[in-house]
Amino acid sequence: MSCLHTINLSPRFAQLDSCSSLLLPGDAVLFIEDGTYYCSAPHKIPASMSGVELYALQEDMIARGTEATCVKEVTLANYYKFVELSCEFDKVISWF
Amino acid sequence: MTHKKSITFVSRSAPYGTHNAQLCLDMALACAVFEQEVNYVFLDDGVYQLKREQRADAIKRKTLGNALETLSLYGIENIMVDGASMQSRALQVADLVLPVTLVDRADISALLQASDVVFNL
Repeated sequence: MSCLHTINLSPRFAQLDSCSSLLLPGDAVLFIEDGTYYCSAPHKIPASMSGVELYALQEDMIARGTEATCVKEVTLANYYKFVELSCEFDKVISWF
Repeated sequence: MTHKKSITFVSRSAPYGTHNAQLCLDMALACAVFEQEVNYVFLDDGVYQLKREQRADAIKRKTLGNALETLSLYGIENIMVDGASMQSRALQVADLVLPVTLVDRADISALLQASDVVFNL
């Protein structure tokens, strides 16, 4: 029963700290809204998450001017991909 | 007795996740219209408002970075950007829409101390 975790707050709110400690193999994390700031600078995402698929909502990064600096371990996903991911995983868990 | 007050706005929110950034700017512009002495500080996630290349039409919003250029049009010249907030977010002055001077926390403390009113959002 794999889960898609979404994070919509900037690193200042440290939601990823709680989320990352509960991830299991096969889970994925999608950064949306201000959560995409996790992906615009190096070292914001802990190395312990390297086994988990990481996505960031492309539209939110374009809006914030951060698309060009997205870190390499994160895959950009548009709204269509967001819908696909929501269907593909058994559950969506929102961290907010 | 003068009615002019020193009013400082500390903008600490990222541009689009909440409406705080836009509200803070609107309040500052309103104060400037009433000829108050306005100071503007970008702190914490507030520095993200200054990032170049914002295109908020992607999420059907107005691009806030452009709106910040109106600060000087309204006579708000005392703009401070916290250097430590920039550094922890891997931002450089060249990444910003405005030519700004970075300050440290002691400069901001001194401004808060010297202000009559401080709005913090």
